[in-house]
Amino acid sequence: MTSVSPTPTRKYDLSFARWVYENIDGGDRMAMCMQCGTCSGSCALNTQMDYGPRKLFMMIRAGMKDEVLTSNTIWNCVSCYNCVVRCPRKVPVAYILHDLATVAVREGYAQARTEETTKFAKAFIWSARTFGRTDERLVSVLFYFSEGISAGFKKLMAFKGIAFNFVKVGRLHIGLPHMIKKRGELKSIMAKAAEIEARHGGASGEK
Amino acid sequence: MTDQKPRSQTILVVGGGISGVTTALEAAEAGYEVVILEKAPTLGGRVAQLNRYFPKLCHPTCGLEINFQRIRKNPRVKVFTMATVAGVKGGRGDYTVTVKTTPRHVRPNCTACGDCAKACETRVPNPFDYNMGETTAAYLPHEMAFPMRYVVAPQVIGTPDADKIKASCKYDAIDLDEKEATFELGVGAIVWATGWQPYDANRISPYRYAHIKDVINNVEMERLASHNGPTHGRILRPSDGKEPKKVALIQCAGSRDYNHLAYCSRICCLASMKHAAYVREQYADATVDIYYIDIRAHDKLEAFYRKLKVDPQVTFIKSKPAEIKIGPDGGPVVCGENTLTRELYQTPYDLVVLATGMQPASAVDRPAMEVGMDDYGFVVPALDDDGVFAAGVASGPIDVSMSVQSATAAALKAIQAVSGAAR
Amino acid sequence: MSAAKSTGVYLCSGCGIGEAVTMGELEKVVTKEFKKPVKSHACLCGDEGLAVIKADIEAGTVNQVVVGACSPRTMTDRFRFPATQVLRSNLREQVAWSHPAGDEDTRMMAEDNLRMSLTEAAKSTLPEPKIDGEYSSVVMVVGGGTAGLTAAHEAAQAGHEVLLVERAAKLGGNAANWSKRMPHRPPYRAIQGNDIDTLIATVTADSRVKVKTGCTVAKTSGMPGKFAVEFSDGSGATVGAIVVATGWRPYDPTKLGHLGYGVSPDVVTNVQMEGMLSGGKVARKSDGKAPGVVAFVQCAGSRDPDHLPYCSSVCCGVSIKQALQLREADPKVMTYIIYEELRTPGVAEEFYRAAQEAGVIFMKGKVKSVDKALTVVVDDALLQQEVPLAGVDLVVLATGMVPNSTNIDAPTPELDEEKLRVLHNDVNPLSPIKVAGYAGEAPAPLPAPPDTLPEGAPILNLQYRQGPHLPMLADGFADSHYICFPYETRRTGIYTCGPVRRPMDMGETAEDATGAVMKAIQAIRNAGQGVALHPRAGDLSYPMINLNQCTKCRRCTVECPFGAIDENEASYPQVNETRCRRCGTCMGACPVRTISFANYSVDMLGSMIKAVNIPDEFDEKPRILILACENDAYPALDMAGISRQQYSAFVRIIPVRCLGSVSLLLISDALSVGFDGVMLMGCKPGDDYQCHFVKGSGISRERLSKVGETLKSMQLESARVTQVEASIADSARLPKLIDAFVAELDGFGPNPFKGF
Repeated sequence: MTSVSPTPTRKYDLSFARWVYENIDGGDRMAMCMQCGTCSGSCALNTQMDYGPRKLFMMIRAGMKDEVLTSNTIWNCVSCYNCVVRCPRKVPVAYILHDLATVAVREGYAQARTEETTKFAKAFIWSARTFGRTDERLVSVLFYFSEGISAGFKKLMAFKGIAFNFVKVGRLHIGLPHMIKKRGELKSIMAKAAEIEARHGGASGEK
Repeated sequence: MTDQKPRSQTILVVGGGISGVTTALEAAEAGYEVVILEKAPTLGGRVAQLNRYFPKLCHPTCGLEINFQRIRKNPRVKVFTMATVAGVKGGRGDYTVTVKTTPRHVRPNCTACGDCAKACETRVPNPFDYNMGETTAAYLPHEMAFPMRYVVAPQVIGTPDADKIKASCKYDAIDLDEKEATFELGVGAIVWATGWQPYDANRISPYRYAHIKDVINNVEMERLASHNGPTHGRILRPSDGKEPKKVALIQCAGSRDYNHLAYCSRICCLASMKHAAYVREQYADATVDIYYIDIRAHDKLEAFYRKLKVDPQVTFIKSKPAEIKIGPDGGPVVCGENTLTRELYQTPYDLVVLATGMQPASAVDRPAMEVGMDDYGFVVPALDDDGVFAAGVASGPIDVSMSVQSATAAALKAIQAVSGAAR
Repeated sequence: MSAAKSTGVYLCSGCGIGEAVTMGELEKVVTKEFKKPVKSHACLCGDEGLAVIKADIEAGTVNQVVVGACSPRTMTDRFRFPATQVLRSNLREQVAWSHPAGDEDTRMMAEDNLRMSLTEAAKSTLPEPKIDGEYSSVVMVVGGGTAGLTAAHEAAQAGHEVLLVERAAKLGGNAANWSKRMPHRPPYRAIQGNDIDTLIATVTADSRVKVKTGCTVAKTSGMPGKFAVEFSDGSGATVGAIVVATGWRPYDPTKLGHLGYGVSPDVVTNVQMEGMLSGGKVARKSDGKAPGVVAFVQCAGSRDPDHLPYCSSVCCGVSIKQALQLREADPKVMTYIIYEELRTPGVAEEFYRAAQEAGVIFMKGKVKSVDKALTVVVDDALLQQEVPLAGVDLVVLATGMVPNSTNIDAPTPELDEEKLRVLHNDVNPLSPIKVAGYAGEAPAPLPAPPDTLPEGAPILNLQYRQGPHLPMLADGFADSHYICFPYETRRTGIYTCGPVRRPMDMGETAEDATGAVMKAIQAIRNAGQGVALHPRAGDLSYPMINLNQCTKCRRCTVECPFGAIDENEASYPQVNETRCRRCGTCMGACPVRTISFANYSVDMLGSMIKAVNIPDEFDEKPRILILACENDAYPALDMAGISRQQYSAFVRIIPVRCLGSVSLLLISDALSVGFDGVMLMGCKPGDDYQCHFVKGSGISRERLSKVGETLKSMQLESARVTQVEASIADSARLPKLIDAFVAELDGFGPNPFKGF
């Protein structure tokens, strides 16, 4: 098993597709796709996607690795699971997109075009690892300032109104971040997850 | 296999649709005694409710009339309506079948004069029109009903209207006290020809069949187009009775789908193309969009597809719609992705017809005996020397012509079982 | 009939008949005009009413019963008495239920209906079957492939002797070359073994089956129960019925140069691939190497108007099977199936999924070219770009099925135009969809497929007046009365099955063969009892020709839709009764009224027409004759009554077996006795015909086109006679058509022949 996906030399070179089938979570079910379009049609963010899952799967079959791993489709999934629920062939579409995103980061495809999403993900996972919870305030601040101090302040100001409203209706709390009780156990869970992932040829996106 | 003569040479056919009737007649016309059990009050099954057949666009009642004439003339065929199998004992050549009958409340001496319907004021949903319209509680199921006998709906029993119905009959044919009953039949072979039912469109929740009046299924479309249907053959929107000018036909509504019917129902593509022809026949300016995954116009039926493809007002869109939304006017908006162009569409329609698939009746009402079945609920009897066979859609998702083939073949297998000739 | 005819008339006053008309007046028609005994009852179909009739029959006073009550389509089982002819006068559906009660015109209609029925009774007798000599119960099966072997086995299992004739030296047909077969048993995923050898062994071991290999049929004459067959080896046999299971051959791949066939040796057909698979070694012809990448090209010839316009049905499944076999043998092999529409209908969808699961790659698109280097250029429909599929080692063309409706190995015989007629495409499968007429502008029709006559010798070489071939449908498939009665052909007692009839796979073929045997066995049984087959199943009447009056005009032999009438050496028509379907088209064709049935004749119909009382022209009561097809139009008129639709009471309706049985002489008879108009109601003719006798309504229309001359010579408007297309679903439409016709005739004024 290779941890890096092969790069096809021509159209419908199946090396990449096979790799995806074997290495991606749910990839084995991807072969079952019959190109009906239910997933792309059901997607909550379909207008924000360049290809949509259905075409992306076709492109994987066609060996279009670069296009697949630089696609915004894999990043814009919001895990609403409409596609997973409705797929007539029970293809776990959302899971596949998530895993492809991991591959894209790992193999360096994601840096340029998905910087924002990647940075947000980093901020998110920091909070999750540290507190066992997401603290929207800290996640937002970390994400805003990830592009530099001035950009951070600009964004902070822009969202100020919304933040105050959230506080007013009790959707944002004031005070220390909420934390889970047994953070030590969380730590071992995360370590175990990283270990499993490494064993399966993938590397944790955090590293 | 044994050399023993079968104890009964009678063939039992369960189901009186096109397949059951065919099996019964082919065997009877070769000299065998046949009994047909039909759950409904009349023979004809699903095809009696269809407007036309593909690809000839001829009327199913035309062939049924011939078949009914064949039954009328053939004393070897015995018909029990409103009857089902409650249990089976025995084996090839010697089965004892327990038959359960539900009350019709009308005796065989009914002349179909119609006085009871005139006397009856209660109206009940009309099952022949898939409950789209109403009928009087004493009713003739349809104008070609065979046997031509009225039925009194159970809803009216015990009401004053029931007494009026009884009093109106000059021939004393009304029996309000009729109860469920059972009797036994000795037969040598059994053919399951229990057919199908439309897959329940309510289960496909993104299509909002229950919430949007102008989303109907394909069997309802047949009734709308039928001269004896709820609209006398005019295809009209259920919501406001207006003529639909923009119609969507959605394939694989339930079929080819692990969440619903995993198999392809085979007939829906062609049935929908037939529906496109219905619409185009009635409305000069109407357009029809057919949403599909693969158009399965197998064998010679390809010609039907070719004929329809040349119509500029019929568009084939390769896409399984993801969802039907409720538009601002309450009408259907079909949403999804055109898989050839990658365009995302949200198209409003006047009428959407879901090509719901065929679900075997045996998957819902399991046969009251040990018989081989596949995972979908189709009856697939064992290959060894048994006296039980399947015909028509009970045996798999097939069209009418194939059902007749299957039914004719089943008749021969049944004859082999009861004649004792096989070795 | 041996005993003298004594007719009893029984009238029912139930179901509104008694309210619509006065029974006493009807009785008077019977007693005064026809001098027959009559009894009325308030419920004739009830036990009491039936007892009245039975008593008379048992007392021996009556052996012919005329029932004036409901339609002949109802209560048939109750009004059935042993050895008694029963005639039905429709007073309920077509009188009491469709015309106002107590009205004078309703009464006159009821009286005329009775007059017509009594005349019918006088002019007809209970038919007795024609049984003549010995009848064979042997089933002959032509073709020893999957279909033929199954047919032979199933017929033997039903206790019949079988004669199985195979052109090749060995049994097995195409299936003998197959490695494995597609699944047709649950769970429909796994490829199944080819069990053709077991079937061959079973059939050859069966003492009831006689096998002739390396043999073809040289000549077939006779009729069901008595087919006399001569074989190419000089032997002969008498058989009762024939099952034609001649199968198919692959489409000629040399016509597929654009898909690379002949361009590279490594472009093969699916049949050649099957040969390699069953041989156990799949290798490239060019270098003998095992292919690592294989592309299957679907619809190679099929669904292509320049090649085979139809879908060959099995090719998608076959390619899936072969791809799976390749991957099972070596999981490293890459297989592509390039398709336009993937057709795995029904439970075969499971097989498609099994292939996807096993890693077979499906590409939706049209193959544009395949070159010498095996680059398959695909117009990829889903990527919306042209994809050169390179690195392919082997291309498999999924060629389609061509029906063996002739024997192409034998020379095409010279035949005159008349004998080739059954091979012309009289039905265009591509005629525009037209139901009751397109609303607005209909799309332009597709061009009809070229009317090419198949090459090769006729399979059975029928010694029929209408030629040696089995009739064919478009695209060369054998005749089938599609949809409701797929086994019915225009050659009674001869049933086709398997891919000669329609492209189908082995599972369906086996079932189809079993069905065809059912029909063959039925034909044998009924032939021996003189009983008609579908659609007038059970009819004992048959056409009788009075040769003394015959002018040898040959119209009956030409027009019979079933080729039942031959010409003998003296050129007189000769009826082969068991080939006959009793439609009466011969009777309608005969210009000298010399063809008749025991219970149906031109004389009978003419007398019924003349039995109607025609009021004189000052009464302003026109009379319109309706001759209605008993299968569709007549039931539709009944149903108009059942739904209580009203229409003019000036019409007099006579059911006919088929419009083909209507002689033009009847129309001139009707007009000369004073009918103001004649309306023929029959099924849709032509493309997508709906006539149960295939051509009857079409022939009638053709005949009617010549009636204008006659009308002109009588100085009558040609619009007084019309033929309308009536379907069984026209119960609401026909009353309107009738009323419109009555109104139209009103414009012409009364028929001047009234009172002559």
